[in-house]
Amino acid sequence: MRSALNIAAKDLRQRVRDRSIYVIALAAPLGLAAIFGFVFNPISDADFTATFAVANVDQGPLAAPLVDGVLGGLAEAGNVNLVQAASAEEATRLVEGDGERADQDIDAAIIIPADFSARVQTGRPAELRVVQNANSSLAATLALAIVEGYARELDYVQGAVTTLAAFDPARLADAAGVAGLAASTPHPVTVRDVSASTKQLDNTTFYGAGLATFFLFFTVQFGVNSLLEERHFGTLNRLLAAPVPRWSIILGKAITSFGLGLVSMLILIVATSFILGADWGNPAGVALLVVAATASAIGVMAMVSALARTSEQGEVFSSIAAVGLGIIGGTFFPINQAGGVLASLRFVTPHAWFLQGLGDLAGGSIGDILPAVVALLAFTAASSGIALALLRRRLNP
Amino acid sequence: MKALAIAASNLRRFARERANVFFVLILPMLLILVLGSVFGRGFEPRVGLVAPESGDLTQSLVEELEAHEGFALHRHGDRDTVVRGVERGELEAGLILPPNYDAAIRAGDAVEIDFIARPGQAALSLRRSIDTLLAEQMMPPRIAGFVAEQGAATFDQALAQAATVNADTDGVNVAATVAGESFITRRNWGQFDLGAQQQLMLFMFLTSLAGSAALVQTRRLGIARRMFATPTTVRTILLGEGLGRFGVALVQGVYIMLGTMVVFGVRWGDPLSAVLIVVAFGLVGSGAAMLMGALFSSDQQAAPVGVFLGLGAAALGGCMLPLYVMELFAPAIWTAAHVMPHAWALEAFEVLAIHDGGVADVLPFLGILLAYAAAFYALAIWRLRVVLTR
Amino acid sequence: MLECRDLRKSFGELAAVDGVSFHIAAGETYGLLGPNGAGKTTSISMAVGLMQRDGGQVLVDGEPLDPGTTKLKAKIGLVPQDLALYPDLTARENLRFFGRLYDMPRARLSRRVDEVLEIIGLSDRANDRADTFSGGMKRRLNIGIGLLHAPGLLVLDEPTVGVDPQSRNAILESIEQLGSEGLAVLYTTHYMEEAERLCDRIGIIDRGQIKAEGTRRELAQILSQHDRVRLSATGPLHEGAEALRRIAGVQQVDVTDGAIDVLVEQAGNSLMAILSALDQSGVSITGVEIDEPNLEAVFLHLTGRSLRD
Repeated sequence: MRSALNIAAKDLRQRVRDRSIYVIALAAPLGLAAIFGFVFNPISDADFTATFAVANVDQGPLAAPLVDGVLGGLAEAGNVNLVQAASAEEATRLVEGDGERADQDIDAAIIIPADFSARVQTGRPAELRVVQNANSSLAATLALAIVEGYARELDYVQGAVTTLAAFDPARLADAAGVAGLAASTPHPVTVRDVSASTKQLDNTTFYGAGLATFFLFFTVQFGVNSLLEERHFGTLNRLLAAPVPRWSIILGKAITSFGLGLVSMLILIVATSFILGADWGNPAGVALLVVAATASAIGVMAMVSALARTSEQGEVFSSIAAVGLGIIGGTFFPINQAGGVLASLRFVTPHAWFLQGLGDLAGGSIGDILPAVVALLAFTAASSGIALALLRRRLNP
Repeated sequence: MKALAIAASNLRRFARERANVFFVLILPMLLILVLGSVFGRGFEPRVGLVAPESGDLTQSLVEELEAHEGFALHRHGDRDTVVRGVERGELEAGLILPPNYDAAIRAGDAVEIDFIARPGQAALSLRRSIDTLLAEQMMPPRIAGFVAEQGAATFDQALAQAATVNADTDGVNVAATVAGESFITRRNWGQFDLGAQQQLMLFMFLTSLAGSAALVQTRRLGIARRMFATPTTVRTILLGEGLGRFGVALVQGVYIMLGTMVVFGVRWGDPLSAVLIVVAFGLVGSGAAMLMGALFSSDQQAAPVGVFLGLGAAALGGCMLPLYVMELFAPAIWTAAHVMPHAWALEAFEVLAIHDGGVADVLPFLGILLAYAAAFYALAIWRLRVVLTR
Repeated sequence: MLECRDLRKSFGELAAVDGVSFHIAAGETYGLLGPNGAGKTTSISMAVGLMQRDGGQVLVDGEPLDPGTTKLKAKIGLVPQDLALYPDLTARENLRFFGRLYDMPRARLSRRVDEVLEIIGLSDRANDRADTFSGGMKRRLNIGIGLLHAPGLLVLDEPTVGVDPQSRNAILESIEQLGSEGLAVLYTTHYMEEAERLCDRIGIIDRGQIKAEGTRRELAQILSQHDRVRLSATGPLHEGAEALRRIAGVQQVDVTDGAIDVLVEQAGNSLMAILSALDQSGVSITGVEIDEPNLEAVFLHLTGRSLRD
């Protein structure tokens, strides 16, 4: 054990002198997280508040429940902004904007044409109009859904009155009263809102965590590949000729990699939290995940490195593996939200488990990360088992 | 020509490095495939549905939900899966029908459907769409319930009557029109088009910058001094080294264009103009690489810094978030993006692919790119002269 | 000190070491002399426990040494053929690191590092990184690391390959010095002069086998009935050599640059025949030297090939 620590101490001294590790382990992930945050955050943070232009040309009794009731209620709840327009033309113009592109501020126009109420009440064909902004799909869909919902309610009331009259024509005498009664009859089916917790990382944290994971595999590779470097320098023979057990050489390399990985992750977590405002979540849970992820990174990179014969080959193999796994694992973009084969394929990488664990931690409790931790440890066990089997042969020529 | 000889030896060293095959030829295609699959089809909200029954009412509701254009319906077996999907952002919302859905409605009982969504307003429009859909579908049962309650008929009699009434009335019509032109549909990108353009720029620049290590190595190995000791000017040395990087970038650029055209059917527009853009951008990339090569003294550092700068510049320059999205949501970032040459090259490609532009249309963009290249090379020559003769 | 018995190692079909045995007494300097590819490095790799053996036994002070053995390895100091040091660590850091691996107590390690720096003449550069050193300095540091823990046996694998003559002489001198101080040395080389100069006993190794072993004198005895005739000459030397091989009593003919070396049983008996044969072949002789056979000749005699091959 003491010789393993000696080897690790020597390795760390060497790594600290190699300035490229600062770029790979710290500057690159932090810098890229800042850039990605700068580019992507304004888009995701743009909160969804729909703005509708309303032209109530009708001003009749059946316009009020829509304008004051439904829309007014949403506006009061802060879900939509309403802009009053005097005419259908003005409302449309508000949506169309300057012509070259639709105005970005108004998502849709809702137009209640003249004598709408009268037409409905007298059973003549009636129409409500919605002008949707081509560039605000969600909010424009909302406008259409609101207006259609109201139209269907009117249809129902009319249907209810007509159907009742078919059985009991006398009730037609008080059509308005019947309509009122019908309107107050509850829907047979009600939709209950169930709020789900958000087990997702916010954008800043996602890019911070994703890039930290991506570069973690490069960072531990400095320790892992140093075994090949020892061979390159000829010092491996010296280590083998020294009175130290062989496992202590490998253990030394593992300690080095672990130290490098943990320190870089710790610095990145602190830096992204304080500089970029990332929120990694419950520290104990994050610590568990980071330790498991670092271990799995070492295992996977050791396995890849053990396949290489020379230190150049080792670097080539590891960078290909680190980049490939990082992309499949969704460290650059949330591949889990893509669905399909790619979303399932990501689970062949430790990256995906780590990020999923962080996400589950964000919206849940520390117990929720158990599957991710177990998966990461399974990766560690399998890959380091293979690595050790390969290295045994390498160390016993 | 001496510069060509330097370029040739440079290219030879590049080709010997086997990792380059992966990073230059395989990785870009892999990314274009992944990005196209993930983002290429545009965004459609996903609604997870659990419908344990297969009765008529359930069936018709499922059919309506499936036919709805506002979202894609995914059916799941149990509530937990849907809840987890919503929590993790794999679904925008979940809809859970109770097990006795059909029977309860027929019995006139109150039925509750759970709508699962994350806090926030994004689910609002989905919720409204589903409300409207339900209102339409549940109209006859609701009418029947009302009439039965009024004591005029039994529920079943009223339900039969309501169905005929419903079919006879026109109802209130809702006329929807779309104003303006969507930023997305206006461009009418194919699934892989935009991703291919973005990755082309990203990789040409990234490969060049990462390759700046070669110039540092040339300097460190003393080869540059040895070359300088021969009757060769700094400018020739740098042009030769730059030509090597440029050659790699050009090969990669043309390879990506042809490859994506054949494999993914990407439209690049007028071939001559497209190649001109690639040439101009290759000059920009190699110029930036030469500047970096002249500035750094350790190749161990130049390579990772090159990768970092390459990715950062690409993210800022519109190779990750499309320029039109920046323009729409964050004009300040759109402006910042145009500090990067990537943005200009991407706009040039848009002119080609969307507006069927030709050489004359992309000329201004080519001019800007060449100005970048000239500036990079001039700075690099100045810097290298200082370093070599120090 | 060290005893190797019947060492065997094959790489695929090739038997690199095919039954090599030798022993080194305390304080003795033993040389393994052979051309490149003779099996020298493979033999000592097995001797110091770097390489798994296919067969045979290694005893250090009577105890068996295997690749898995640890404690026993402390009795041996290894100087690998290629430089084996960390270029990004200083000379002192390199020494200290390896010293720790040999479990040297701190105080003793510090003292010993200074001593070794003195021995290898790097005291003034102790705190400079190894990658700033000249080739000769790196070589000296390479040897210094092997000496550090004051082993009973120092194993040097061709320490003078690719070293300039001045550094080479310095290295040989320090090894002579160490040998005279009672350190046992196992030394491999393909330079006959080095083996002759340094070694108490020499094993001649070729194609994985020890062909002969003994002191320099003992080895020379193999050819004691022989004389070595060196003819400085010009003209068609190879044709002349062909002619010489047909003469009775001539054992070996070796053409070098501007000379023909001939090993004969009795120089006095055949010298006339040699001179006339060369004359007939059109070779003109500019000088004749008659000497006792050297190791080179012994080697050639035993293996049928030259050390320089």
